[in-house]
Amino acid sequence: MLCQHCNKNEANMHMKRIINGRAAEVHLCSDCARSLGYGEAFSGFGLGFSDFLSDFLLKGEHSSNTVRCPFCNKSFEEIAKDGKMGCAECYTAFYDKLLPSIQRIHGKSTHMGKKPAGANNASNRLENLKAQLEEAVRQQDFESAVKIRDEINSILMAGGENQ
Amino acid sequence: MSAKWYLGTGAQNDVVISTSIHLARNIKRFPFPASLSMQDKLKVNSVIKNATEDIKDYSFNYYEMKTLSQAEVVSLAERHLVSPEFASSRDGRALLLTEDEAVSVMLNEEDHIRLQVMYAGFALDEAYRTADRIDSQLSEKLQFAFDERLGYLTQDPTALGTGMKASVVLHLPALVTSSQITKLITTVSKLGLSLRGSYGEGAAAKGDLFRLSNTITLGISEKAAIENLKSIALQIAAQERVAREEIFKAPVTEDRIFRAYGVLKYARMIDTNEFMELISLVRLGAVKGIINMDCAQIEALMIHMQPATISLSVDRPLDRIERDKLRAQLVRQNLA
Repeated sequence: MLCQHCNKNEANMHMKRIINGRAAEVHLCSDCARSLGYGEAFSGFGLGFSDFLSDFLLKGEHSSNTVRCPFCNKSFEEIAKDGKMGCAECYTAFYDKLLPSIQRIHGKSTHMGKKPAGANNASNRLENLKAQLEEAVRQQDFESAVKIRDEINSILMAGGENQ
Repeated sequence: MSAKWYLGTGAQNDVVISTSIHLARNIKRFPFPASLSMQDKLKVNSVIKNATEDIKDYSFNYYEMKTLSQAEVVSLAERHLVSPEFASSRDGRALLLTEDEAVSVMLNEEDHIRLQVMYAGFALDEAYRTADRIDSQLSEKLQFAFDERLGYLTQDPTALGTGMKASVVLHLPALVTSSQITKLITTVSKLGLSLRGSYGEGAAAKGDLFRLSNTITLGISEKAAIENLKSIALQIAAQERVAREEIFKAPVTEDRIFRAYGVLKYARMIDTNEFMELISLVRLGAVKGIINMDCAQIEALMIHMQPATISLSVDRPLDRIERDKLRAQLVRQNLA
């Protein structure tokens, strides 16, 4: 594939960009990438999501007390550096910070399409059980509370363990 | 051993070589692979392996990647059963593979699960149906990381949403010869799709093979993404056919095809690049009906003649000269 800018050299830089609300791929050789000012995006950070995030980081966010994901302990700065989310929970923890970048990559920010069979039901059931548990504890019905707690634990374990 | 998927022939076979659907999934209660300890990676592997055991109609062989040799792993990548990235680091990774190699599941690549379904020819609907069926059965056993707003949660947010990458491999020798390909790549990228070399990422497309895939995964359903890909693929295929008519008007095209056939039939040494260049011309001739060769046979050759795969056909490591000699010999036998 030839560089889109000079049409001479082999393109070795490939980027996804949103132009006028549509995703576009840019293919450049390293010389043109540098002369067009893309050079810096390639030093230090990997390609892809971190590009978007590092842009976002530059716009502000110099927090002194780092916020970390409660589940995997990864910070937003670390995610911005390697472009990799630590776990599913990171999406909840950093949702507001991530949203603009997600929107820029996909052009949209709401899922359409398939939903997993179990997830929806399991999470609903979990919510119900948690409410029941609170109610049981409030009524000091500890026998029921223990049963409900065990059921909650078994659902959480079923998050993968099926041996 | 059952016949490999690529030995079949599919629809639109003159241009469309193969179809694949990839689905990225993660298990909710584990961090994503890059943040996972080795111990947890092994746990994830075993949890998924167990979940695949009851899947209807599909049975998988399980391979711990670190038990395979470097050549075996690279050969898997050459056959597009694993990504080059997956082949680059073997620790804590595993592969589930059906006997016909049509369904593979990479464990602990970018995501816990990367399910891939491959079909010969143009078969996006069929491939998606298969992937969907396996995915649904897995989701009954495993609680996937999913968010109502963001869809399936992936380690790399560029795959968020459906987590689906659909692609078709296209043989575009005439669009390459008539220098229309660069413009096409630019056009396609504006439509939320990508078109790039199937062998040798980013480099010149070996064998004029290109992979057309969707790049947007959030805010578009699987069905809409597939319909979009389908319609662009058919338009590119139509353009390629027009370009073929055009280049066949020049006698030099037929001459190039028969020269390519001649070299493949009589060469005593041939490297991968030259082989891919020549077999592409031969395929063009076979589709046109001027060379008597079966497309499925050509596709199988394109896969089997890759460097690591060819080395696996003998029981010892080969240096480059030995490999090029062996390749020439195997090609001659196939063309006899």
